[in-house]
Amino acid sequence: MGGSSVCDGTLSLDEFNASARALVTKWRGIDVDALPDWEWRPCRKMGVPSETEGFVALEGVYRTRAGGQIEESSDDSVPDDAVEHDTSVQSSRDNVHLYDFHIVYSFSYKVPVLYFQGLQAGMHISEHYCGYLLPLFSFLIANICNLSLGGQLLTLDEIKKDLPPHSLQLLNKSKWTFITREEHPHLSRPWFTLHPCGTSDWMKLLLHKLGDKDRSLQYLPAWLSVAGQAVGLKIPLKLYCSS
Amino acid sequence: MAADPNHKKVVVNFQSVANAPKLRQSKFKIGGNEKFARVIEFLRRQIHQDTVFLYVNSAFSPNPDELISDLYNNFGIDGQLVVNYASSMAWG
Repeated sequence: MGGSSVCDGTLSLDEFNASARALVTKWRGIDVDALPDWEWRPCRKMGVPSETEGFVALEGVYRTRAGGQIEESSDDSVPDDAVEHDTSVQSSRDNVHLYDFHIVYSFSYKVPVLYFQGLQAGMHISEHYCGYLLPLFSFLIANICNLSLGGQLLTLDEIKKDLPPHSLQLLNKSKWTFITREEHPHLSRPWFTLHPCGTSDWMKLLLHKLGDKDRSLQYLPAWLSVAGQAVGLKIPLKLYCSS
Repeated sequence: MAADPNHKKVVVNFQSVANAPKLRQSKFKIGGNEKFARVIEFLRRQIHQDTVFLYVNSAFSPNPDELISDLYNNFGIDGQLVVNYASSMAWG
């Protein structure tokens, strides 16, 4: 086991793994209806899943151009009659974006790092319908989206339009120390990432009143409250309630 | 008629941490129907700093969109919402 280092705002790989499991479990338990579930993804070495190394993934978060989060859906909940409703979906210039978020442990900074990518949902939905259709029939919309998912990655300029205003300001001020593009350590493809340099400083503040055991388990939820805000991912309050 | 409980005023108790300047008065009342963004803006003006790092309950940093009443109902202690603040946070 690696030594406990959470007091200084960093965490060991073991603590990261434990905190990741705690996050995945708690997230499932609080019934987050507007977002998919976080999942643990073991790394594969020579095709064999690793027992100690992996990352946490939240994939398929929908966002309209206005920056609002839309309900996700899973493929298995799509009813067979979905096709009957597709007349509700009309063409317009308002693209729906899909975001994937990965939390990866950084061995050099000893903190979690957020990697993310945005995809063009591959279809257009009119603003009029977005307002009330998506929350209600997200499963159907998602089905149609997925069918035509071109997988075209969003550029930084396109992602900027989805970022909250304070992040946009920060990005304009500090181009190289906030959101940058780096190789995803486990997928070997360039993803956008939040710079981890300052993470241990603000994590130290966030966790200083907690006991050692709570610190490592609550590390990822606490970290996510800050990292999520930077990329416009709203974390449900229930994640921070004790029961 | 009872007023909407969300409109009830909430006492916010600001606690400075690290190098953040202390406020002369640390408790303020704010409508429960306001968003946390108002608290952030208010504190920025009070301490004359553009960047502040606010967090609640040593557990998380609330999203600016959260309602004060929701934060108070879940994390209020002894009739007040304690908000810790540090004067800056950096990513890089």
